[in-house]
Amino acid sequence: MKRAGRICLAALAALAIGGCGAKVEPDKNLIADHGGEKKVVNLFGPMEKSKPNVENAARNAFDRTIAIAEERFGLTVEYRTYTAEDYTEKTYDDVTLDRARNNMDDLYLLNPDTIQILGEEGRLLDLSGLDSAKNLRDVVKTGNTVNGKLVAIPQEVVAYGLFVNKDMFDQYGLQLPDTPGELMECCRVFQENGIDTPIGANRWWLENFVFAQAYADLYNGGNTKAEIDALNEGKAKYSDYMRPGFEYLQELMDRGYIDRETASTYEAIDGEGPDFLAQKTPIVMAYWGAANAETAYGKPDFEMQVIGFPSSRGQMPVMAMSGYGISADAEHLEETIQVLDTILSDEALELYTQVNKVISPSKNVEGDCIPALKPLNDRIQENVYVLGSNASMKMEQWGNTCIVVRKLLGGATVDECMAELDRLQKESLKSN
Amino acid sequence: MRKQRESRRDIGMPLILSILVVFFTLGTTVFTLSQRISAEMSSSAINNLSESLDLVKGTLEAILTKEAEFQKLIANEVAMLEQPEEFIRSYNRNRTMVKLSFIASGEETGISNTSDFFSEADLDFSAGKTVEGLPVSQSYLNSMGTWAYTMKCPVERNDDEIGVLYIEYIYDSFEESLPVGFYGGNALLYIMDAKSQRFVLKPRGMGERQAGHLNLEDFYRANNILEPDVQRAVEESVDMGKNFMFYHHIRNMDSLIFMWAVNEGAIYLIGYVPIEAIQQEGKAVNQNIYTVVLVMLAAFLICCILYYLNQRQRIKLRREREAEREIHSRQLAEALQAAQVASRSKTMFLSNMSHDIRTPMNAILGFTTLLAKDADNPAKVREYTAKITASGRHLLSLINDVLDVSKIESGKVVLTIGDFTLSDLVSSVDAIIRPMAKDRNQSFDVSVTDIKHEYLIGDETRINQILINLLSNAVKYTPEGGHIWFRIIGLPQRSSQFEHIRIEVEDNGYGMTPEYLETVFDAFTRAENSTTNKVQGTGLGMAITKNIVELMGGTIQVSSQIDKGSIFTVELELRIPDGQADRQFWRDSHIWRILAVDDDEEVCNSVQTLMKDTGVEVDTVQNGGDAVSRVREAADGENGYQMILLDWKMPGMDGVETAREIRKARPDIPILFLTAYDGSEVEEEARRLGNAGILAKPFFVSAFKEKIAAMGDGCIRESAPKTTESDSLKGLRFLVAEDNDINAEILSELLDIEGAVCEIVENGQIAVARFAETEPGTFDAILMDVQMPVMNGYEAARAIRASGRADGEQIPIIAMTANAFAEDVRDALEAGMNAHVAKPIDMKLLKEAMDQYRKKEG
Repeated sequence: MKRAGRICLAALAALAIGGCGAKVEPDKNLIADHGGEKKVVNLFGPMEKSKPNVENAARNAFDRTIAIAEERFGLTVEYRTYTAEDYTEKTYDDVTLDRARNNMDDLYLLNPDTIQILGEEGRLLDLSGLDSAKNLRDVVKTGNTVNGKLVAIPQEVVAYGLFVNKDMFDQYGLQLPDTPGELMECCRVFQENGIDTPIGANRWWLENFVFAQAYADLYNGGNTKAEIDALNEGKAKYSDYMRPGFEYLQELMDRGYIDRETASTYEAIDGEGPDFLAQKTPIVMAYWGAANAETAYGKPDFEMQVIGFPSSRGQMPVMAMSGYGISADAEHLEETIQVLDTILSDEALELYTQVNKVISPSKNVEGDCIPALKPLNDRIQENVYVLGSNASMKMEQWGNTCIVVRKLLGGATVDECMAELDRLQKESLKSN
Repeated sequence: MRKQRESRRDIGMPLILSILVVFFTLGTTVFTLSQRISAEMSSSAINNLSESLDLVKGTLEAILTKEAEFQKLIANEVAMLEQPEEFIRSYNRNRTMVKLSFIASGEETGISNTSDFFSEADLDFSAGKTVEGLPVSQSYLNSMGTWAYTMKCPVERNDDEIGVLYIEYIYDSFEESLPVGFYGGNALLYIMDAKSQRFVLKPRGMGERQAGHLNLEDFYRANNILEPDVQRAVEESVDMGKNFMFYHHIRNMDSLIFMWAVNEGAIYLIGYVPIEAIQQEGKAVNQNIYTVVLVMLAAFLICCILYYLNQRQRIKLRREREAEREIHSRQLAEALQAAQVASRSKTMFLSNMSHDIRTPMNAILGFTTLLAKDADNPAKVREYTAKITASGRHLLSLINDVLDVSKIESGKVVLTIGDFTLSDLVSSVDAIIRPMAKDRNQSFDVSVTDIKHEYLIGDETRINQILINLLSNAVKYTPEGGHIWFRIIGLPQRSSQFEHIRIEVEDNGYGMTPEYLETVFDAFTRAENSTTNKVQGTGLGMAITKNIVELMGGTIQVSSQIDKGSIFTVELELRIPDGQADRQFWRDSHIWRILAVDDDEEVCNSVQTLMKDTGVEVDTVQNGGDAVSRVREAADGENGYQMILLDWKMPGMDGVETAREIRKARPDIPILFLTAYDGSEVEEEARRLGNAGILAKPFFVSAFKEKIAAMGDGCIRESAPKTTESDSLKGLRFLVAEDNDINAEILSELLDIEGAVCEIVENGQIAVARFAETEPGTFDAILMDVQMPVMNGYEAARAIRASGRADGEQIPIIAMTANAFAEDVRDALEAGMNAHVAKPIDMKLLKEAMDQYRKKEG
């Protein structure tokens, strides 16, 4: 017992002595030296709106891959973001084009149309020399190659589909639709049962209905290259392919299954999302990752299923490639290449894919698929899908179609929309 | 125990209370102090935050001012130019001013450095905010995809306004002038356009990395600031261009939200800082205070514990001292009591001794008086002398006991270790006790069971003394007609070299009270009550017995119940001599198989056990019929029995009948009757049967061997009954060395009575001289007193033995002395004497000694 007492006293004494030990050296510079100039890479991307007390897992996965690069190369990636407040403001794509053309940033997250535009303008660096580019799936390379240059690479292959409230379908005894006619019938039943607007839409993603119907045969009929060549040469018209889709959208709007006004003003998910989650709307459209993200549709209170858009060939996933591109005149070019090569490496993509449960662009990385995405994934695994963007098509698809769909939403007729498509095709043929 | 608890509580409670008071006081003080420090630090942090924001604000306003001043300079420059448009077109954008535009007075549109068309219509100056008097537009997203604002400045030439110069600035240019990070990166800061409430800049390291805020509404939504009052207050402040700061819970942290007006509220610094980040220093100070207090409290607690332990130790020591004192006092009291008891016992003993000595002495003196008076009456004389003899013997036993106790207490007792047989021991004890028991009509049962070795090494005399003491007490303290059991039981051996025996002496006598049991082995005590006070004794027997047992390394225990009897249990370990088994004897005697017949299985087992090492096969049966069958069966075979041991009394066919039947099958087979009864009847029957004898129970190999030896030619010859009186001294001539005249005279007379003659000398020297001068064969023996003047008996004996005469070495020298202890016997034998006979002279013993000597010689 005495021994324990002595030990305690000794410990106290040691603490007391230790406490008196702090010593200030008068000749020491008290300002910490943070070394030389800080290496920076400027990244421009869309702003993810934060929600109170909710972690944005999808964005977090991206940040973690960025952290790998930052740590590896001792640099900082500065995030610059933009999101339009409403439809009256410039779109993210508009701003991206402005910024890229004014060389404001080093690295951009680009939508398919901007990839094609900036690629065509030669403002994006050819990434085919990156180590990470060697592992890419062919569909990724095809979708992002402009004039023979691989100008963008995504961290995930984005597949769009219809997000449906299975409980509501079951409630009204409805089968999940495969064809445009079946979807129309489902909408009729929903509407008859008091759901005035069965399909929640935003101003960005209605074009997927068009792509699914337009290109179901083109991409799955075994004659893809010839058909695309015909379009590129002007022997075939995009309007002929897209007319059924536009007419279909027109009918959906005419019958009130899609609200024309909200569809032309809603931002993606922010607009139509709350009603879908509140089970007021049984059908919305979104991309694969939205099914995993808590900030989107990751935690519904009902059984959610993600299926392809209706087409003559059944449920049809629409694949579109958002991707990261490097400004050809980037101020911090070398660092930017290092960052991009790192965040697209198999190691980083493995992490990204595991966290976000998405389809990886790398052939070497396989991810898990949550049950809700199984119907969509099954089709993709069967190699049944259409591309929403294809850089090998002279006429940019994703952005242009979106604009023309907005015209339809704005009251233009299908014929007027087809005429616009013809004009756009003609312009693209001219410019090339 | 209760006292101890109370004592512990006496220290513990005040100590706990004082600890609690100290803790409470310190805790309250520290809490109050920390609260005050927190409040002060919080206030200080708010001031600090305000100052930081003021600094940022000042920086931004300085930038704006510089921009405005520079724009005025450019305007002045442009005013001096003949062709201002050329200047505008030639301007190359830099990091701050990205667009120069000019609209000439009176024109709606103008030109800019990026385009030939410029109109003010795209700009919103309605907010009325100015810098250095220059109107500032609302923020907008410019053609570079970044947030910008434009200031317009009139271009005056000779006090005439010739146009307006518009310069577009981008918010990104502020970044270089702002600090990197804010409150260690924990704080968020955005720049908000006041009118549109759009967030126009997220300075590097000051906003959320993985997300952002679009505008004030989004800021509210993202941070859960949904209280209308708060939002309204903020709105009012923003409208009035005032600063606003408030607390709110953001992302599970209490935070300080700020809205800081820049340029009179044209733009706002907006964001939040977690209070934890603001109060880092306060928290650190508080933590340090808590640490110091905790250390102090720990030290205090340790001191308290040490103090408590010290106190407890002191109390323990005090208690131990008290307990020691108590024990000491108790020991003293006990010692005093013991001394008093001892004193009382000794007084009582002296009183008893006085009584016990005076009683026989009184008888002796009384009868001598009567003897003198009735000297002419031979019958009376014989009666008186017999009584005088009895009283004298009693007196002698008293003296022996007293002397024994004296020797034991002084530690002078030495054991005389030697070989002995249990057979002899039991028979000698039996010979003494059985008549005593018979006199009182008591039954006396002797049993020996499970003994493996009957030849043992030990002090036979002392063991005998133990047994006699215990058994005589049993006889004494058992009323007439009672039962006494004497058992010797072999226990499992602890060592192969020692026989472990238990001796039990049991009676169904008066028994002892529990109180007396506690002192039964103490000296000077004896049981006395109305029943036993007629019993004479010294009260020393049990004390002597216990001491002897313990001296032998044994134990003695007693249990007793009043009026039911007592049982004394002695356990001893006696060494087993080497060469125990004498197999040759049995081979020489041609005995290799015998039959033991006894209805008591234990007896049969005992015979088997004891005969185990002899090489003789022992068959046992429990009744006569079986015995006869066995003998017949064995008779037919080659391996018949050479001897039958037959219990005298058995249920059904008794021993005699069985013997007769056996004889029919084997007419010549020797039969030994085992009996625990008086042998006369049995002897008679044995004689009638022929070639038969008796063997006393319990069975011992040595006794069996003696019987077989006595058989000689195979026939058992029962020895003639012993004569009780021997005239073996008749005609003998003794030389007696005795310095005491009376003793000499008595001895002379006694020898004369026995028909012997003696020559008395006064001391050893004369005895030696007398022996030397006489012819060999003059004396048949020398009776030598030990304590004599001039030369004692030992020296004299040695001298005679060393005289060189042939008969000097052989003549029996018998010590006759009052030195009656075992050591005295040993000393006598060592001095060369042949035997020791204690005084007072018992002629019987003298005769036995002489007989023994003559037997050896003869």
